[in-house]
Amino acid sequence: MTDPVFTLLYIFIFPGFVFLVAYALFLSFLDRKIAARMQQRVGPPFYQPFADFIKMLGKEVIDPDGVDRRLFDAIPPVVLAAVMTAFLYIPVIGYSPLAFPGDLVMVLYLLALPTIALFLLGWLSRNIFSAIGGIRAVTQLFIYEVPFFLALLTPAIMAGSWSISEIVLWQQHNLWLVFLQPIGFIVALIGLQAKLERTPFDIPEAETEIIAGPWTELTGRRLALMHLTTEISLVTGSALIAALFLGGPMIPWTFSDPWLNGAVGFSLFLAKTLAILLILSSIKAATGRFRIDQLNEIGWKYIASAALVQVGIVLVINYLWVTP
Amino acid sequence: MPEVVIPIGPQHPALKEPVNFRVIADGEKIVRLELDLSYNHRGIEKAAEQRNFIRVLPLLERVCGICSHSHATAFAKGIEEIMGLEIPPRARYIRTIIAELERMHSHLLWLGVAAHEIGFNTLFMWTWRDREAVQDTLEEMSGNRVHYGMNEIGGVRCDLTAAQVTAALSRLPVLEERIKQYIDMVNSQETLLIRFRGIGRMSREEALKYGAVGPTARASGVDYDVRRDDPYLAYAEVPWNVVTDTLGDVYGRTRVRIGELWESTQIVRYCLENLPEGPIRVDTPKNAPKGEILSRYEAPRGELAHYIRTNGTDRVERVDIRTPTLANWTSVAMCLVNQNIADIPVIVAAIDPCLSCTSRLTVVNRRDRPRVAGPHTPLSGNRLFGRKGEDSP
Amino acid sequence: MTGTVTPETIQEMLRDFGTVEQVRKNRIRVSTVPGRLHDAIMTSQAVLFVDRLITISAVDNGETFELLYHLIGPHRIIITFVLNIPRNSPVTPTVSDILPPAGIYERQIHDLFGITFGGHPGLKKLMLNEDWPENEHPLRKDWKPGPDTFYGGIKVERS
Repeated sequence: MTDPVFTLLYIFIFPGFVFLVAYALFLSFLDRKIAARMQQRVGPPFYQPFADFIKMLGKEVIDPDGVDRRLFDAIPPVVLAAVMTAFLYIPVIGYSPLAFPGDLVMVLYLLALPTIALFLLGWLSRNIFSAIGGIRAVTQLFIYEVPFFLALLTPAIMAGSWSISEIVLWQQHNLWLVFLQPIGFIVALIGLQAKLERTPFDIPEAETEIIAGPWTELTGRRLALMHLTTEISLVTGSALIAALFLGGPMIPWTFSDPWLNGAVGFSLFLAKTLAILLILSSIKAATGRFRIDQLNEIGWKYIASAALVQVGIVLVINYLWVTP
Repeated sequence: MPEVVIPIGPQHPALKEPVNFRVIADGEKIVRLELDLSYNHRGIEKAAEQRNFIRVLPLLERVCGICSHSHATAFAKGIEEIMGLEIPPRARYIRTIIAELERMHSHLLWLGVAAHEIGFNTLFMWTWRDREAVQDTLEEMSGNRVHYGMNEIGGVRCDLTAAQVTAALSRLPVLEERIKQYIDMVNSQETLLIRFRGIGRMSREEALKYGAVGPTARASGVDYDVRRDDPYLAYAEVPWNVVTDTLGDVYGRTRVRIGELWESTQIVRYCLENLPEGPIRVDTPKNAPKGEILSRYEAPRGELAHYIRTNGTDRVERVDIRTPTLANWTSVAMCLVNQNIADIPVIVAAIDPCLSCTSRLTVVNRRDRPRVAGPHTPLSGNRLFGRKGEDSP
Repeated sequence: MTGTVTPETIQEMLRDFGTVEQVRKNRIRVSTVPGRLHDAIMTSQAVLFVDRLITISAVDNGETFELLYHLIGPHRIIITFVLNIPRNSPVTPTVSDILPPAGIYERQIHDLFGITFGGHPGLKKLMLNEDWPENEHPLRKDWKPGPDTFYGGIKVERS
C-alpha cells in the first residue's frame, strides 16, 4: 500500500481523477435525465455533460471592466483541486490508501471551499446580482453547515474514529449506520442538497431573481471548471454519505480472491451512490425554491434541532451499549 | 447593505417581455420602484387609423400574441355595434369557443410561468404539456396556434366541421382531470404555498383604488367581470360562474385563475355541444356611420377597453386601446413596496404581464422614408438576413 | 345601494355639470369643462357609487383635443365625462389625486398627444423611448416623421 506506483495510479487514474471526472459527468447526465423524465421530457443524451464541458472550455473569456483578472482565473482551478482531493479519502474499492485519522474533518473542510469561492467570485464581479448571490451563498453556508456537520459527526462518535475508512470498517462488522441513525441520514441528505445548491436550496443561483448570482460573470474555461467542480462535489458528497451511512464499498462477507472482493465492493459503491443520486434528483424535481429568510427559519427550527436530537441519541446509545 | 438600485430589465430571466423596473432596495426589502414601459411600442394605434376595417383586424390581433383574439373581437364587436349589425348565433358561439380556448391556454401558460418563477420547473413542464392539447384544438379550428384570425366584421372567417367539434370534445376530459390535479397541487404543495401565500397582498379597497382589473382584482374580492356585467357574444346564454377569492395575495390569484380554467372548460363544452346551425357571417356595409363606442371585453388578463370613434368612412378616426396590463401596473408598483427582492418575479408574474399589449412605439421604416429607429429595430439594416436595401415595414 | 341608481338618476345628478345624454342603455355621456371635471368626478364618487376608472381616452379632433374619462361603479353603468381642450394650449388639471390609476393613463396621453396635466406627480415618458426628441407627439393627426430627425435608438450607417 506504500508502493509509489500504486499510489500514483490510485490518485490519477482509478479511482482518482480520470475515473472521478468520468463518473461525475455520468452522474450529471443521470441527474438531468431523471429530472427530465419526471417532467415528461426526453432529457439529454449520455454524452451531454462531456460535450458541455468541452464546449465551454473553448468559449471566449470575458472580463468585466475593473475586475481582478488573475484572481478570477485562479479561483476555479483551486476549488476544483480541493474537491478532487477530497474524493481521494473516501473508500471506493476498499480501504483508501491515503486514509489517516481525522480525514473526515479534512474532507468536510475541502467540501466547504466551493461555497466560499462562490462568495469571492460574487464579490469580485463588481455586479449587483453577483454580490447578492454571493451573500446568499454564504448565508446559506452558515445555515446548513451546522446540521450537516452534526449529522456527519454522529457516525464518527458511534464508530469511535475520525477516519472515514475506519467508519466503513466498523459498519462491516456491525450494522449499516442508516439503520442506527435514520434522523442523521435524512439531515445529511438535506444538508448535501443545500451544499450542492440544488432545488429547493438553489437560492444563490436563483435564475429568475438574480440572473445567475455569483455565476453571472463566469465565462469560458472558468465556467467549465466551476461547473465541473459542482459535478464532482455531487459525486464526492454522495460517496461520503454512502460511506458513512450505507457502508461504502464494504461487503458483509469476504471472498478469497482479492480482485473479486474489489470488484464487488466497487459495484456496491456505484449502486449506493446511484441510489443517493436518485433521492437527490427526486427532491430537485419535486420542489420549488425557498427564500433565504424562509430557509433561515426552517434551517434553525427544524433541521438543526433534528441534528441535535440525533447527536443526543447517539451519545446515549454510546454510553449505554457501545463503550462498555 | 445601504440602498442599492437593482435594474430588473429590460433583459432579465424573470421577465418574459422587456420592461424596465428600477428597484431601489435596502438589503432585501424594496423601498421604491420606477417604471419604464417603452420597449414594445409599435405604433399600432396610429397605424390603425390608416387602414380600412378589413386590414385593421389582423393588425389589432398582433397587439399581443396571447390575447390576440381579445383585441380583434373587441374591435369587431364595437364596429358591428356602430353599424347596427346583428351577427348570427353560430358566429357568436364560435367566437365564444375561441375566446374561452384562448383564456385556457393563457391561464395554463401563466401557471407554468408562475411555477418557473419560484424554481418549480416540474409544474412548468406539466402545464405547458397540457397547453399543447389546447393549442392543437385551436390549430385544427383556425389553422394557427396564436393569431387565429377568426374574426371578420360581421361574423367569423371559417366554420367548425363536425369532426373538429368531436376532436375538441374528446380532448376536454383529459384537461379537466389535469386541472383537478393542479387544484390539488396548488392547495397542498409546500414550497408553492410558502412562496405564494402572503406575498403581494392587496385589500379590496386598494384593488379598487389603484384600478386593478381581471383576476388580480377578483382575487381581492372585487366582483367585476365584463362577461357578466355587460354580456357580449354568447355569455348570456351559457351557464357559468364568476370566480372570486378573498385572499388578495398571489395565492389567491392562482386560485382564481385555476377556477377560471375550470369554468372555461365548462363553457367550451357547453358551446361545442349546443352549437346552433346557420350562417357564419352577414354582409356588412363598406363604411361605418359616424359614432363612437366603448367596447369592453374580458381578456384573460382583465378588462380590455377599446374606445372607437368612426367618421363615416371605412377607416376609424381613433381607436384607443386600454389593455388590462396597463391598468394593473399601478397596483404592482404599490404591492412591491416592502417586499423582498426574491418576491419581485412572483408579484410581477402574478398580474400576468403582457408588455406587448401595454406599449404600442412607433417604428416606421419605409424604403424611401428615412429610418425611424426604436430600441428594438433590427440592427445593421437587413443585410444580415440577406435582404439588401429593403427595410422592414 | 345599487338598485337605486338608474340612468335617469345619474342624468339628474350630473345635469348641472354640462350636457348629459344617454348614448347606450348603460352609458351616460356628460360634456363638461376642465374646471368642473374635478367636482363632477368627486360627486360621482360620493353620490353615485362610482369606484373605478376604466380608462382615459384622447382623440385629436382637428381644432381641439377631446379627453374622455370613463368611470364605472357596481351599478354597471358607465359615466363618460368629455372635455374639449384647445389645441394651441393643451393643458388641463390632473385627476390622479382623486383617481390614482389616472396617473399612468395621463402619462401615456402626455407622451403621445402632448397634453400637459397640471399637478401630476411625475409626467415622465412612459411609452416612448427616453431619447425620443421633445415636442414630437406621434398620435396627433398632423404628425409625420421628419426626414432628418433622429428618433432615438441606435444609429446605423447605411452606405
